[in-house]
Amino acid sequence: MAVVSVAFLLPLYTVVVFSFKTKKELYLDNPLALPHSWFFDNYSSAFDRLHVGTTFLNTFLYTAISVFLLALLSGAAAWAIARNRGRFFRFTYVYFLLGILIPFQALFLPIYIVGNALHLTNTFYGIILMYVATGLSFSVFLMTGFMTQVPVELEEAAQIDGCSIYRTYFSIVLPLLKPAMATLVILQAFAIWNDYLLASLFVSSSALKTLNVMFQQLFSTTSSNYSTAMAGVMISVIPISILFLSLQKYFIKGLSAGAVKG
Amino acid sequence: MNRPSFQSVRTAQFFSLLAPALLLFTVGLILPLFLGLYYSFTSWDGYTKDFPFVGFDNFVKIVQDPHTLDAWWFTIQFTFWNTLLQNVLALFFAVILDTGLKAKTFYRTVLFLPCLVAPIVAGFIWQHMYIDVLPGLNSLMGTKINFGLFGKADTVLSGLLIVNNWQFIGYWMLIYLAALQSIPGELYESAVVDGAGTWTQFIKITIPMLAPAFTICIVGITAGSLRVYDLLVSATQGGPGRASTSIIYHIYNTALNAQQYGYGSALSVSLIVVLLLIALVQLGYLKKREVQL
Repeated sequence: MAVVSVAFLLPLYTVVVFSFKTKKELYLDNPLALPHSWFFDNYSSAFDRLHVGTTFLNTFLYTAISVFLLALLSGAAAWAIARNRGRFFRFTYVYFLLGILIPFQALFLPIYIVGNALHLTNTFYGIILMYVATGLSFSVFLMTGFMTQVPVELEEAAQIDGCSIYRTYFSIVLPLLKPAMATLVILQAFAIWNDYLLASLFVSSSALKTLNVMFQQLFSTTSSNYSTAMAGVMISVIPISILFLSLQKYFIKGLSAGAVKG
Repeated sequence: MNRPSFQSVRTAQFFSLLAPALLLFTVGLILPLFLGLYYSFTSWDGYTKDFPFVGFDNFVKIVQDPHTLDAWWFTIQFTFWNTLLQNVLALFFAVILDTGLKAKTFYRTVLFLPCLVAPIVAGFIWQHMYIDVLPGLNSLMGTKINFGLFGKADTVLSGLLIVNNWQFIGYWMLIYLAALQSIPGELYESAVVDGAGTWTQFIKITIPMLAPAFTICIVGITAGSLRVYDLLVSATQGGPGRASTSIIYHIYNTALNAQQYGYGSALSVSLIVVLLLIALVQLGYLKKREVQL
């Protein structure tokens, strides 16, 4: 296992190490050697030359707002579906499930066409709407699964006391859904932060692009000084790692839901 | 005057909670689905205003076009090997980690870390691994292995499989680990009392109890591999030549670069059909095995 660990860590190690190397070290030294010193210039030039600051902010905002909207919309929809036996609501559940069988990557072309026609490309809200639309299937599926954990008796009691449907949802059900929301947040934030296809299609202007789009533009120019790129990669990995570390158990729970028998 | 019943007001209110998601989903996914279907019967180029109807021509072209067939062949190979390797290795590592190994959390984290980077970044990292870093090992070990797996058509698949497995083995391993840990110990204890050896225990207890995990992992890896794109953009750009062009990469090229939106839509439709078929077959078979247990 130790050997395996080294093998697995090696690529990540190179990213860390390379982000601190100077251009000279990049070429002259053995690639596996440690840098001579903590050369932070790569990081500052990432901010200046690559505009990592703006791109980072864009990616962060797209992810945060999309995840927030997904949580809001899918929670409400899932609760409505879970609390109604009628044919219409059962039909909508299957309808949402279609989106899981037909992933958006397979539909990227018509999605791009629709987005273009609605003038959503290269706009701040366009990409967010797209992320939410494509993420709804899985989110609704996940949240509906969690609805069984909310006791109906509590809701009924609230309604006897005169709460409207909306009040019941927001004051009673939502607080009980915290673990579900945590799972949703970590899984969707992860997917959106690391997305490339949708981002490359919808936001190509330099003011709006995401980290991944910027990286690819960087990788494809035969730039010889890729230690700056490595510094950029390091910066982009930080938020998702922090989010993951803090919500670890929800991530694992979300992954393995359904894998555990009984 | 008839007031709406209490029940119908309630239902209407529930519907209003459902409506925004429904609307967004329909416009964002279902509408494109039908539009894609419509375009696939035309030879639209993405710019002009006419949509010349060509019937099934595009679909006929799919089976005749060598580029399309190559793209499908690559995608199928990638999917097949991935599904096999990632599942076996993820299960293998999960079993090892479940044996109460010391530093289990460390190993679990190390194997899992690679999936935190975006696939597009992973492609870039490994490009440099193959070109710069691994050859550095040659001077350490005194060997002369050629590590440039992305440079030749017959090794590019292996090169990509290594990257994809590196990225996601840890992810699927977590699922197997959770499933393994949920198997009640009494099952094993009674098996030992009945005289079953380790291998028998594995076959007769572990594997059947893992059926739901198998379903999730197999379906997940297959579906994910069929959709490979991000990785290819940074790692190989579909090359050398077209050796590592997946079906989605091919659709991108055809529609957006060669401006054949009609044909591209037909390709998309064919991909969706394949995905649905495979999902149905896999789920049908795997769910049946689950139920039997």
